[in-house]
This record gives sequence, C-alpha cells and structure tokens, in this order.
Amino acid sequence: MLERLRHGDVGQLAPKIVAGALVAFAILYVVVITQPPPEIGNGGWRNTTFGSAIHDPGSFLQILLDAITFAGLLFIVASGFSLIFGLMRVVNMAHGSFYLLAGYIAYEIQQQMTGEGFAIAGTDVNTWEWVLPMLVAAGCVAVVGLLVQQLLLSWNQGQDLRQALITIAVSVIIADQVIAHFPRTGVFQAGGGNAVSMTWPGWTERRVDLELWGVQYSLARLAMLALGVAVGIALWLWLYRTKTGMVIRAGVDDQQMTASLGINIHRTFAIAFVVGAALAAMGGTVGASQGVVGSGQDTQWLLNSLVVVIVGGMGSLLGAAAGSVLYALVLTFSAAYLPLSATQYSIVLTFGLLAFVLAFRPQGLFGRAG
Amino acid sequence: MKKLRSWKLLLPLAALVTVGSVFVPGSLAAPATHEIRVAIMTDCKGAFGFGYELDIGGAQAALAQYAGGKIKNRNKPSAGMTGATVAGHRINIVGYGCGDDTAPTAAKETRRLMEQLRADVMIGPLSGDEAVTVAQYAKTHPTKTFVIGTAGSQDPTLQIAPKNVFRYHGDGAQWNAGLGEIVYKRLGWRNAAIIMDDYSFGWTSAAGIIADFCAIGGKITKRVFPPLNTTDYSPFVRQLPRPGTVDGYFWVIGGTGTGASLKAFEQAYGRIDPKDHAGNLFFAFLGADRVVAPKVVGSYVGGFGTGGGLKTKQAKAYEAIMKRHYPKLPAADGFVYNYYNAAWALVRALRTSNGQVGAALQRAMPKTNRSAYEISDRGIVKLDSRRQAIQDQYPLQIVRRGNTITTAVVGYVPNVDQTFGGLFKPSSPAPGRAQPKCVKKKLPWQGKIRVVRNGVVTKQVIR
Amino acid sequence: MKWIGRLTPKTLVERVIGAAVLILVAAGPAIFNDYWVNTILTQTFLFGIAAASLIFLFAYGGMISLAQTALMGIGAYMLGNMVTQGIPGGETKGLTLGWDPTVALVVAILGTTAIGLVFGAVASRSIGIYFLMLTLTYGVIANYFFGQVTQFGGFSPIAGINQYTPGFVGDLVGHPDKLYYIALGTAVVVYVLIRYVARTPFGLSLQGVRDDPVRMSSLGYAVPLHRTLAFGFSAFIASLAGILLVWWDGQIAPGNIGLGATIELLVICVIGGLARVEGAWLGAFTFIVINNYVRDVELPVVGGSFNTIIGLIFLVIVILSPDGLMGLWDRLWRSLGLGGGGTSDVAPAVQIAPEASSP
Repeated sequence: MLERLRHGDVGQLAPKIVAGALVAFAILYVVVITQPPPEIGNGGWRNTTFGSAIHDPGSFLQILLDAITFAGLLFIVASGFSLIFGLMRVVNMAHGSFYLLAGYIAYEIQQQMTGEGFAIAGTDVNTWEWVLPMLVAAGCVAVVGLLVQQLLLSWNQGQDLRQALITIAVSVIIADQVIAHFPRTGVFQAGGGNAVSMTWPGWTERRVDLELWGVQYSLARLAMLALGVAVGIALWLWLYRTKTGMVIRAGVDDQQMTASLGINIHRTFAIAFVVGAALAAMGGTVGASQGVVGSGQDTQWLLNSLVVVIVGGMGSLLGAAAGSVLYALVLTFSAAYLPLSATQYSIVLTFGLLAFVLAFRPQGLFGRAG
Repeated sequence: MKKLRSWKLLLPLAALVTVGSVFVPGSLAAPATHEIRVAIMTDCKGAFGFGYELDIGGAQAALAQYAGGKIKNRNKPSAGMTGATVAGHRINIVGYGCGDDTAPTAAKETRRLMEQLRADVMIGPLSGDEAVTVAQYAKTHPTKTFVIGTAGSQDPTLQIAPKNVFRYHGDGAQWNAGLGEIVYKRLGWRNAAIIMDDYSFGWTSAAGIIADFCAIGGKITKRVFPPLNTTDYSPFVRQLPRPGTVDGYFWVIGGTGTGASLKAFEQAYGRIDPKDHAGNLFFAFLGADRVVAPKVVGSYVGGFGTGGGLKTKQAKAYEAIMKRHYPKLPAADGFVYNYYNAAWALVRALRTSNGQVGAALQRAMPKTNRSAYEISDRGIVKLDSRRQAIQDQYPLQIVRRGNTITTAVVGYVPNVDQTFGGLFKPSSPAPGRAQPKCVKKKLPWQGKIRVVRNGVVTKQVIR
Repeated sequence: MKWIGRLTPKTLVERVIGAAVLILVAAGPAIFNDYWVNTILTQTFLFGIAAASLIFLFAYGGMISLAQTALMGIGAYMLGNMVTQGIPGGETKGLTLGWDPTVALVVAILGTTAIGLVFGAVASRSIGIYFLMLTLTYGVIANYFFGQVTQFGGFSPIAGINQYTPGFVGDLVGHPDKLYYIALGTAVVVYVLIRYVARTPFGLSLQGVRDDPVRMSSLGYAVPLHRTLAFGFSAFIASLAGILLVWWDGQIAPGNIGLGATIELLVICVIGGLARVEGAWLGAFTFIVINNYVRDVELPVVGGSFNTIIGLIFLVIVILSPDGLMGLWDRLWRSLGLGGGGTSDVAPAVQIAPEASSP
C-alpha cells in the first residue's frame, strides 16, 4: 500500500515539482545567473541587456515597477471583463471594442478642451482636462453597454454560447464603426494614420527620485498604478459594503438561487454590465494617455483581458488583481530579461503562464470550480 | 404542434432566395471584352487605411491627365472615373482592392481583382507584405502586369523580381538614404542605438539607416526589437542606452507604436531632445497627434521619395496638375505621388504597345519615367535591370509651419539604387535583426548629398 | 410518419439533394467559370473542412473551440517551413528546410495532431464557455507566436509553398483544377469520416460525455481523455484544411490565423448550423460568396465598410436562427410535421438556444 501511495503521490507531484523548479530557475536567472552582454555580439544563453539583479539593481527595480504599474492598467480593464463574466457568464468579446471607442471619445473631448494650437504641451493640461474626458467616455460607453445588454443580451440570459456569439458580432460592428468615424479632430498631415494620443495632466510629467540605487521613476506610471489601486478599492467597497454588491456576489455564487429569492436579478445584470463597460472605458482613457489609441488595440486588449481572467479566475476581484500582476510580470520581464539571442520568444512565456495555471487550477488561481 | 413562428422561418428563406438569385448568374458567364482592364490595389483598413483615397486619387489623376479620363467627384477619388482611353482603347477601372496591410487579405483581393474582375493590369499594392504576395502571384501569372504602388519591401524586385512586376519608386531602405550621413555630419553622431519593429519592413527600413550611418563611420551600439502588437513599450525602451552614453537614437517603429514608444522614452529618460532622435518616415505620420508630434519638431527624418516644397518646374507642374483634378489631396504625399507615377508609366506603355496587354505591354513598360520630384538626369527616374527604380531621395526635417506640423526637405541624395552600391544583393542575407552588419564603406552618394534650403537645391554639399 | 425502407422522408430528401450537389460540383470545371471553380468553390471545400472540425467538436463533443483556425495555421506553417527552400542568402522566411514534400506532408499532419492533443489535454478539464475562452486564447497566442518568433516566418508571408507538392499530387500551379478535385475529394472523405467516427464506440461515448459528463465519469469513462482525443481528431481534420489552404493560396502568414480569421470561421459555422456537419460546407459557401460580393459596398448613412455588414448579418442570424441554415431546414421539416432524420436526430446537450432544437 505504501508503494501505491508513493506512486500516486509521485504521479501527481511530478508535474508540480517540474513547474516549481522552472519558476525557481526563472527567478534565479533574473536575480543571479544572467550577465550583461559581451563586448561584441549577443553572447550566449546567459547574456541579457541588463545582467543580473545583483549586478544592476537599478534596472531590475525599474523593470519591476514597469510591470506593477502596467498591472494597474490591466486590472482596470480586466476587472470589468471579470465582473461581467462572473455574474452573467457572458464572455464580453466586445470589451476590447469598448476600450477602443472610449479611447477615441476621450481623445476628442480632450482635444476640444485644450483649445487651438498645434501642440498640447503636457504641462499646460490640468487634472480636470483629463478627468472630464474620462468621465464623458465612461458615460458614453456605459450607455452603449446598457443598450447592448438590454436589447441583445437580457432576453437570452442563460444561453452562454449564444451571448458569446452576439458579443462577437457587436465587437465586429463597433470596431468597424469606430475606425470609420474617428478621429474627428486634429489636423491631418500628409499620410496621418488614425493613431492619436491623449496626455496625462501636467503635474505627472516628471520623474520621482526613489532614492534607491539611483532610480528615477515616471510619476505618470505611478499615477496609473494609483488609479488601478483606487479602482480596486472602490470595487471592493462596492461589492462588499453595498447591497447591490452583495446581490452581485450572491449572483456570482448562485444565480438561480438569488433570482428565486425574489431579487430583481435583471436590474443587477444591467448594472454589472454597465459598470464593466465603464471600467473598460476608463482603461481606454488611461491607455490612450499612456500610449496611443488606434486600430488593432481592440484585439490586443481583448486578449489581455482574457489572459488575466483565465489566470486569475472569473468573477473574483482578487483573481483579477493577481492575474494582472502575474501577466504583467511575465510580459515585462520576458521583454527585458530574455537572452539577447532569444528575445523573440517572449510570447512563448505567456503561453507557458497560461498552461502552467491551467494545468493545476483550470478555474484560475482564485476562481470557483465550475 | 408548437405555434409556428412563421416569420422566423419565411424571412430568412426569402432573403436567401433573393440573394441567391443575384449571385447565380455571376457564376456562369464569362463575357469577352476589348477594353483595357485596370485594377487599383490599395488599403482601406489596417495601419495604412488612410491611404485609400490618396492612392486612388493619385492614379486616377494621372489617367485623367494623360488618358483623357473624366473624374466623377473631385473630392472623392473612390467615386471613380470614366472615359479614359489610350490608343483608341477604353481603359476600364474594374475595381479598387481593399487590403489591410496583411498578406492573406492581399491574396484574396488580388485574386478578386485579377480573376473575378479579370483585370489585365494592377496598379498597387500599397504595403510591403502585400507586395511580396503580389510578386509571388505575378510569378505564376505571367500574362498580367503589375506596377507597384508604394510598397517598401525589398523582395519583390530584389529577390523575387518577376518580369511582370515594375516599381517606379524606391523601397524602404532607399527612402532612408542620406539620413545617417546627415546626422553624422550635422549633429555629430558617432554612435547610436536603433529601435525597430520586429518584422520585415522594420528591418528593411532600418537597413537603409544602418547602411548609410555605418558606411560613413558611425557605429550602431545597440539594436532593440519590440514585436508588433506590443502594448507597453517601456521595457523595450529601457533597453536603449541611457542618454549621454550614445549620441543619438534611430526610431523605426510604425502604426500605433510610434507615439507610444516615444512617450515611453520620455517617461523613462525625461524630455525628448529632437537633436538626439531621428526616425524613418513614420515620424512624419505622427502629424495628427498634437501630443507627440510637437516633441520631435526639429528631428531629421527619412524620406518617402518625395520632395514636398521643392521649387523645381517639374514639381510645380505636377502639383498644379494634382490641384486641377483633386484639389483636396496633398500632392506631395508619397501615397499620391507614387501611384501617380505608376499610372503615368502605365499610360505611356499602353501608348507604345498600342493598347495591347500581356507580354507586349511588359515589353513596352518604360525603362525611364519623368517624375516630379526627381532632379538627377533632368528629372528622369531610371529602372535597373530588375525593374526597380533608381530614384533621388530627400531626407526631411520635422518643422512647424504656423499651426501645423509638417516636413521640410533638407537634403538631396542623387540616384539611390536598391543595392546601395552593391551592399544589398539578391544573394546577400535579407535585412534582419543582425543584417546588415555595421561596416564602413563608400556608398555612391557619400559626400554628394546637397543641402536643400526653402525648396531650392543648393550647390553646397552637406558637411 | 411513413418510413421508406429505413429512411425517413427527410433523410431521403437530404440524400438526394446531397447526391445532386455532388454531381454538380464534380462537373464543376465544365459548368462554372474559372473564378468560381478556383476561388469560390475550392475555398468552400477547404474552409468547409476547417468548419467541419469545429462542428464535429460542438455537435458530438459539446465543446466550442475557437482554436481550429490556429490548428489549421499550425499545419500550414509546419508544411511551409519544411517544404520551402531558401534562396541562398536571399528570401529567408521561415526555416526553409527543403524536405521532401511527401515526408513534410506526413510530418505536418502528425505534428498538428500532436499539438492538438497537447492543447486538448490542457483544456480538457474546462467546459462550455471556459473552453471557448481558452481556445480563443490559444488562437490569438498562435497568431502572435508565428508573428513574433521570426524563425518560423514572422509577420511576412512564407510564400511559394504550392511549388513544392508531393509527387502524387503533381503540379498545382499550372493545373488549378487538380486542387479543386483534391479539395473536393478530401471534403467528401472528411464528411464520411466524421459520420463514421460518430457511430464508433468512441464517438458514442464522446456523445455521452457531451450529454452528461458526470454520469459518464461515474460509469468509469475517462472524460478528460475523451475530450483530448476528440480535440486531437479535430486537429487532424484542421491540419488537412491547413495543407489545402497553402496549396491553394501558396502562402501562409499570421493574418491567416488571427482573431479576424477565427471569427470568420465561427461565422461560417454559425451560418451553416453548428448542430449538423453538413452545415460546415453550406456555411462556408454562403459566407465566401457574401464576403466576395460585399467588398466594394459602402454603407450610405451609417458609414463603415463590409465588416459592419458581415457583423450585422451574423447578429441577425444568431438572434433569429441560431442553428443557422441547417437549423432552418430542420425547422421547416418540423413545421410540416415531417421532422426527424438526418444527423439532427442527436440533439446536443449544449445548445445555443433551447427552443430552437425542441420539436
């Protein structure tokens, strides 16, 4: 019997041991093993741009902060996706299109607010000129989300597959319409593309001295992280301290029971979808300020949301946070700490993260089974 | 029996029958035709979707000017044109291809244009990967003729080079000729880092910069390759050497990445000094962005084979022609200009071949073309033995004009050929991450780049 | 309802129609013009095969997989990388191994099936909508993989693949009609194969797993294993579609397996009907024809392009007739009181819309 036990244990433990060993190796690689590039050429498997964390702690800290701040943005967008899925079992394939639409709307509003002139100097932009575009964009996209939910999704609740197909159709239509009609303002120079960007408020355009290994870090990125944390806290307060939030949590746990208790679950669905769309919109504004908004990003952000939610688990706030951090860590570190001769394999690590999580917890790290 | 929701059944059935009856006839007949069927292939979606009206406008303006066509709507090129004839034969523009910068769509559109709509000639495509697809198609369809629109990939005329593919403008590497030398001499750059999109157009465009910069003695100390579809450019930008450790940075990132990567650089290293940054033509595409574009005013930028603002007679004549036919289109834009030249070359060939297409047309395609922004050889662009243009190039500088940001020509690089004086050969490795290597060499135009001031090419050489 | 021999009237009619269609397409090159033969119909056959792999998984396995396009692409990329030869120093897209085309063909099919088994194993414990999300992620990652790992091709197409065909296939570039018949033949074989597998013990237990996995598990059937094997089988079919794709198009690029292509395949299946295998080719034909003829259309008031039109058509179909065209056909028979017969007898447990399948 002992032998059977041992065999059974080994069979289950072996993949876990292998996976654990890989993760440990990856951490050791980044922290200790790797070396800076040689004088000439790319070097071998040990050579990366920065060398090990011990050798160059400043760069390591910067990359780590890049990952965590990016996780803030990921969280904002993915939490909306997770909320919609967790409660209504709707895979909102139009989430990326909401992001795109919101980014362009916020851009248009900011253009109007910052007046004429060929440039928007970041330092001239005050906080209100960033917040109002975001609010307007969130509002517009929330209305669009409400329309989609009421007209197309509320009458076929429970038919998961059909709803997924409907949101796919909506995403195709919205993405096409957005590209056809935006951007509207801005002077078109010879050969201008449709990628435009917003700017953060002026006070974020500096770097903060962290007084640690000489690292100076962008305040805008830290603000992005702060926004993500603020959204997380607000969502937590909403879900755990208000009645609607309680209904939502109950609905995530057991939809039928909640409905049979006489609670107007349909109103709650509508609220959840609207909040999810608004979160995507907020993410779109932040993303447009941090980088640009342009065609193709709807696909990118749908994938980002999917990966975060698959890794972290559906319908769970903590899951969305954990998924965001893990995914951002993998993305950012694979960009900077892969050997110079192998930088193109960063996507493989993303897949590895997915496979790793799914092999052990198919429902995601913090998801509920089934 | 359940109550029949008859409308749910009948409505789709009726729609099917109607739709089917429209399509069935199209499947059967194959009528004969005596006209010259021309297709214009461009992008209506994707990163270069804005080029749709520009490309069509350029080609149709040339057909209007040299083949007597009547434009239907002077504000909307895609409304079409009629009445173009050459040597007594009618030119029928059978369709506009709607690509999205990817190869599969290009393949579908090419088949649709050349097989369903039975075009004899294609003017296009717009982008690099599409041109690779078209060149491969051309290899297996020798009776059709293809005049490339604005595609910048090297392969179609260097490695694939079928006999029925012609390109009357430079490729992505040629467009950047002279940029490296200008920053070496004028800004004193001796070592630089380069960041490029990790795919073939990024490598090709970067190859032009690297070849030019290294040929005169510069050194590329670091190459960074963010993949396409990157959301966060920060970790890539951090891999660039810190300001102060290099003299400058070359940027070869396009699409949604141009603005995003520049912003990421600013967040990582502080304010962007235009003297430390040079880019390829994608910097010029930033023009609509009021946030990022102003940051690079003053940067030197690779060209597009066009010389907007040049005050030569030829240039002014061309701009007047464009204004007559399509007043709202920017004549100096490469998308308009290159398609114009392609269509013009086609018209001249049709005159020579007397309206014949196929092999006769290919023999008749001109080996030279008078191009508006060409100065060498009295304004004549020549094709090399692989039907690729040897073209003057014009490095640019981003400038502010009143309330807009635009580009000004700063240099004139005569007769840039695709091989860069033998550096790029069909048998040499294609541009890639490590190619070309940074070697010192004498390029044919080294030391011969002339200063251009206010649209006038001076006798002064750039020092 | 009266039975004619063992066949219900509906089955008989379907078989007659099927035979008539087969005869029509067998004589295709003589009846239709070149464009229809070589582009519309050949594409119908090969995308129908890809759609059939998806419909097989859904109708018999209850799993909706958005990874079929990716598997098709993996098969295509494997073949492209193995078969093409690099011009010395020149165009070096992909590995350009230059292997014997017949060997490459076999390796591509087996390799894709193996990858399908791995994907299936990772996903086999997820069900329903989770499975859909996971397979969608596979698809997008495969797209990014082939775009970013430039050793295997990168963003630019690997071209000229149809110049290297196995001996028994011969020259496809000069004789495109050959490919038409190869695609037609493969489609027929795939259809027969799927119908056959559905009746084998494996197929039957797979349908049991679809209907009630808990009960099957308690009866001793290895549920994840069944799903994994089903996924592997669908990968095999998808690999055939991928090989036909590169023989037809001559090239493969990440755009062939991106999100757009994945959605197109899903649209094909939904139009045709997710519950019946015949829907694969019906949907493929309908979609390809519509897609071909709406490209030049510009919407008057709303703006936007053919994508909006296709999205609207898709939306209308999902709302009005989520079973697609084959579902319409089934409902027609049911409304006439003659329902029953055909593959729709086996009602899938995971339905798109409950009311659509009930008699």
